[in-house]
Amino acid sequence: MKKISKLLLALSFVLSVTTSAFAVTVVSWGGAYTESQKLGYGDPTAAKLGIPVNWVDYTGGLSEIKAQKEAGKITWDIIDVYAKDTIVGCDEGIFHEFDFDKDFAPAPDGTPASQDFFTSMPSKCAVGNILYSWNYAYNDATIGDKKPSTLKDFFNTKKFPGKRALYKGAMSNLEIAITADGVNPGKGSDLTYRKLDADGGIDRAMNKLKALCEDPNGGCVFWNAGAQPPELLANGEVVMATGWNGRFFNAQMEGTPLVQVWDGQILDYEYFALVKDGPGYADGSALKVLREMTSSEGLAGSAKYIAYAPWRKSSIAVMEAGEPWFKDGKTNMVPHMPTAPANTKRYILMNPEFWADNQDEIGEKWEAMKAGL
Amino acid sequence: MSKEQILSSDGLPLEVSLKKAERKNKLKAVALVAPLFLFILIIYIFPIGDMLFRSVDDRMITKMLPKTFAAMEKWDGQDLPEEPVYKGLYEDLSYLKKTKTYGKIIARLNYEKGGFSSLIKKTVRKINKFEEGNYKEQFIKVHKRWGESEYLVALKNTAPNWSYAKYLKGIDRKFDQDRNIIQVPEDRRIHKTLWLRTLNVAFWVTIFCFILAYPISHLLATLPMKYSNLLMICVLLPFWTSLLVRTSSWMVLLQQQGPINDLIVWIGLAADDNRPELMYNVIGTFVAMTQILLPFMVLPLYSVMKTISPSLMRAGKSLGGTPLVSFVKIYFPLTIPGIGAGCLLVFILAIGYYITPALVGGASGSLISNTIAYHMKSSLDWAFASALGTMLLVGVLTIYWIYNKLVGIDNIKLG
Repeated sequence: MKKISKLLLALSFVLSVTTSAFAVTVVSWGGAYTESQKLGYGDPTAAKLGIPVNWVDYTGGLSEIKAQKEAGKITWDIIDVYAKDTIVGCDEGIFHEFDFDKDFAPAPDGTPASQDFFTSMPSKCAVGNILYSWNYAYNDATIGDKKPSTLKDFFNTKKFPGKRALYKGAMSNLEIAITADGVNPGKGSDLTYRKLDADGGIDRAMNKLKALCEDPNGGCVFWNAGAQPPELLANGEVVMATGWNGRFFNAQMEGTPLVQVWDGQILDYEYFALVKDGPGYADGSALKVLREMTSSEGLAGSAKYIAYAPWRKSSIAVMEAGEPWFKDGKTNMVPHMPTAPANTKRYILMNPEFWADNQDEIGEKWEAMKAGL
Repeated sequence: MSKEQILSSDGLPLEVSLKKAERKNKLKAVALVAPLFLFILIIYIFPIGDMLFRSVDDRMITKMLPKTFAAMEKWDGQDLPEEPVYKGLYEDLSYLKKTKTYGKIIARLNYEKGGFSSLIKKTVRKINKFEEGNYKEQFIKVHKRWGESEYLVALKNTAPNWSYAKYLKGIDRKFDQDRNIIQVPEDRRIHKTLWLRTLNVAFWVTIFCFILAYPISHLLATLPMKYSNLLMICVLLPFWTSLLVRTSSWMVLLQQQGPINDLIVWIGLAADDNRPELMYNVIGTFVAMTQILLPFMVLPLYSVMKTISPSLMRAGKSLGGTPLVSFVKIYFPLTIPGIGAGCLLVFILAIGYYITPALVGGASGSLISNTIAYHMKSSLDWAFASALGTMLLVGVLTIYWIYNKLVGIDNIKLG
């Protein structure tokens, strides 16, 4: 008996090696995020379907897949991308256009996939994966007695003197600036982007930021990598920092006394896109894997490891039923989700179309503004 | 007898035999050089040629909107164009929609002017509902931007097959409706700033490297072997450490609550609540880049100094020169080949740097290479990235040329 099981083990190993030639390759951002995807739904999917799933890291953007396509040798199947990349990739014919309700699994109660996601997709080539937040945080140990609680406080250098950490690009900064300048986003209304798009809207937001950065009581530090904001707060370099909520959450779990402020947070998304003519495209294995990973249980799985919200409403129900859901077995995850009711009293909904339209122009203005600081 | 040929041992005329042997040698030489030649051709000449080509190639859009551009030839670019242009546009876009290839022009046009992305998409969505005739009115009804001449001028500017517009953009210039070259609006003039900043950073980093490296190299070259080896390891150790590790270490050291600032406060140079900013400004960039590029200056200087015989300085002194005079008249001129090599190496490396300045330089840390990377990776405007890359390459070659004129390239010595 033992011999047979050993033989089977060896056989399965050989099989797994030989089938890995047909593995589906998923490309994502690496680090704790990819880890959450791999453990949360990558490995369970591979076990369930018997299709090995490989994870490859990249640093974003479509240049690599575009180069692969131009060279005629595509090695990626599924890519984790920003909204604007799904739009550009769809336009350029790099990604597959989905038949949404047919291609993706319904919720456990039978709700079709298109109804189960929080919002509609920015393009036909996108399927939602997580929602994350650009919010801001402060260090409870160094802030003093008065605590910031609104987005206006972020710009209030009288009440809270000290430097602020901002993202190096214009994205996210213009939105919070115009909100702090008095444009109420409500619950993700399109007013924010309408005001930015109006004549002088971008200048209005940029002047607000310029004033903050040039204020002798204020000042700006620009961050590049997601790990920087918690770090800058922890060692007292800045008094407040914008950043990604999952990174702040991780720092909190490691014991840094950070407090996140959710007022006026920007809800943003990550998507999966299926590469046309990737290795697993013709035989449908890539789509099968994608369907499984984006099912209700699949998406809920990743939230076990990171504080980003699964995009499906039904996944939240799965998490609520399984609390405490965090991998440590004692932290309730639903309150840490950017989509939790307490965190979404007032929020901005990221508009990828606005950025697809204007990123170059705004980018130049932004750099010119920064150069003059 | 007089015309008799000299024969070699195998009976062939000597001349033929010699040529044969020479040909063999020539073939051997070519065969030995061929791999290198092919290597350079494939991974150097060809990609650079491709880059040059991409920066001026604008044929794709010309092919995709043929009728529009044909109709636009008669338009002077002043007021809004007449009906035929809109009719051509209608026909081109309908065809592109049918073949599902309109995505490519969206990206291309959005590089030309922001806002085209949503404009084309909205138009394509509604183009099936267009009725025959009066296209101009229908276009403007779909989106008011079709009634703004700046969008149509931008469209017209993409018509030529080959265009150097990307190079103009690289120096903050563009074409206006009459194809005159004008400056872009003031709040968008960023590239000139970036070029100057890049040159400035590269220049100062080279100077700092030189000032620091010269004494180190001198020490290395003159100390007894057992000390100089240790010192050499100190120079090389950081050289073998990852760039990112070194940059992050500088971030730890230079931050406002970091050890260097602690030291400054402890000595009493600054008050605790008024700590100097050593990072997220140009100081951080200079410090980190100088440290990272220092070995590239030390190594060529060292190898040149090593070959200078100490007896030369002694001779200078014995002929009555003070140490300073002998240094200026003898030692320094002999090290010029090393200085040249080191400065050129550091300068050229510094001009293409971007990770370190982006991390420690704050708002002033974005250099021209960051922009190239941005257009390669994010905006996918490869043509513009190629144009900037070409400009950078030409700039470096120009500096090389000037150097050659001033100092002479034969004077460079790496060892």
